[in-house]
Amino acid sequence: MIQVMKLASIETKMFFRDRLSVFWTFLFPVAMIWLFGSMFVGNEMNGLSFAQMFVPSWIGVNIVTTSFFTLGTVLAGYRETGVLRRYQSTPLQPWKILAAHTVQGTVIFFISAVLLMVFGMLLYDLTLPAYMGSTIAALLISIAAFFPFALFLTSLAKNTQAAAAISSLFLNLMLFLSGATFPLEFMPTVLQYVAKILPLYYVIIMLRGTWNESPITEYGVEIGILLGIAVISTILASRFFRWSGK
Amino acid sequence: MEHVIDVKGLSKSFGSVQAVKDMSFTVSQGEIFGIIGPNGAGKTTTLEMLEGILKPDNGTIDVLGLDPSRQLRKLNNRIGVQFQATSIQKKMKVKEALDLFSSFYKQATQKEYLIEILGLGDKLNVAFEDLSGGWKQRLTLALATLHKPEILFLDEPSMGLDPHARREMWSMIKLMREQGSTIVITTHYMEEAEKLCDRVAMIYSGHLKALNTPVELLNEMKAHYLAFESDGLEYEYLITVPGVARVEQEGDSFKVFSEDQQMTAYHIFNYCHDKGISLTNFKFEKGSLDDLFVHYLEKGQTG
Repeated sequence: MIQVMKLASIETKMFFRDRLSVFWTFLFPVAMIWLFGSMFVGNEMNGLSFAQMFVPSWIGVNIVTTSFFTLGTVLAGYRETGVLRRYQSTPLQPWKILAAHTVQGTVIFFISAVLLMVFGMLLYDLTLPAYMGSTIAALLISIAAFFPFALFLTSLAKNTQAAAAISSLFLNLMLFLSGATFPLEFMPTVLQYVAKILPLYYVIIMLRGTWNESPITEYGVEIGILLGIAVISTILASRFFRWSGK
Repeated sequence: MEHVIDVKGLSKSFGSVQAVKDMSFTVSQGEIFGIIGPNGAGKTTTLEMLEGILKPDNGTIDVLGLDPSRQLRKLNNRIGVQFQATSIQKKMKVKEALDLFSSFYKQATQKEYLIEILGLGDKLNVAFEDLSGGWKQRLTLALATLHKPEILFLDEPSMGLDPHARREMWSMIKLMREQGSTIVITTHYMEEAEKLCDRVAMIYSGHLKALNTPVELLNEMKAHYLAFESDGLEYEYLITVPGVARVEQEGDSFKVFSEDQQMTAYHIFNYCHDKGISLTNFKFEKGSLDDLFVHYLEKGQTG
């Protein structure tokens, strides 16, 4: 456990030493909220104000960026440059590496979520989540589904570039088709069905719901689907864990 | 002496390429054991099988009484490894790396001692990406030896180092041996093998070609040669002299490799005397591992 916490804390420090990742993780979503705000503020959608609708969505999107970029692509890079191989000749077990990166990702994600929420409250009169405990539970379930999902998919990549390409593909798909940024009601029926195969769709429903309307107990289907993804991808991620690209 | 590594009939293929073929050798406790060979000879593959990272196709490996690929975690507590082409995280500081790797071992580590003898004290707050090649090697050597490993595996530790840094690396490796570690090192610098190793295994295209102390290897006649200068002698004649295996010519200076130096010298002197050809700077040379190596390479290509 000491090893996991030590590795997680060093990885977190190193994350903050990299200005680019700080920009994309913390400032980019805030900038997007501000941009969308300048277009949509004042319009009510489904009875929700702009901030009630979009801040929970972008928090959901940030789970995707954290899992694919802060975790997946970084680990693919470690695999390519031999960082993981260096661990292979120490007594450190692979699950501890994955656990440490999960802890690091969770910390970074929660910082970005708080940042987005405070920004929304200051500029767009966003209120705190109606069911705070439910929202936190929804976030944790989403993390449990997305982190191993992204770790598995990026571990299929041969190198960092390929991992980044996989990550960008999934991020863009989910960004536009899961209802996070563009309301699904405006889309053709086919795309509305496509949205339902994307895991982010269920995350967005849970986050918007618990933030504005009802406790997490109302979202049994979403919880079930996300936990299913969590179990399957955890098995796949640990089954296909590789120390090196060879 | 007690054997800490015992390898019998080791083979490994990657697809249709046989990287290591039927290799057997032992390493005794406390020795510096060198594995030398050209790039692609199978050095790293051999080393990685000893470290338990690669599983051999055939043969048995015993390292400290353990089967490396099956008892990897147990083994990793007792061996230290410095890889050829690995790095740690670019933005990790020296201090953080030493802390982190110390936490991997249950036993107490010699972190403070290593910081002192490797002179890492001034670099503790420097990120890995900002270290020069020599300092990077020092740090990865420190990471490999934190837990006082019984066997230390070093894969091309002096690659890319300048001559000064390379000599420093050698003295550090000798220091590790004095502390009681057995050291297995791969290199393609023959000078390194000659100056550092107690015994040297020469491998070429996956085969173990020779295994002995550097001095004994050089005492084998194959590496010995006659060196002289002459403007009247020709390659075509010299290669036909009894005992001659190989001739190297550079302008007027010759290197004649012979299995029987005395006999070959006698024939050359006789010939020159009869023809009135002058010989200058005639020397019996012992040769270096480099020469021996070229000898094996050429034999491998023709045979």
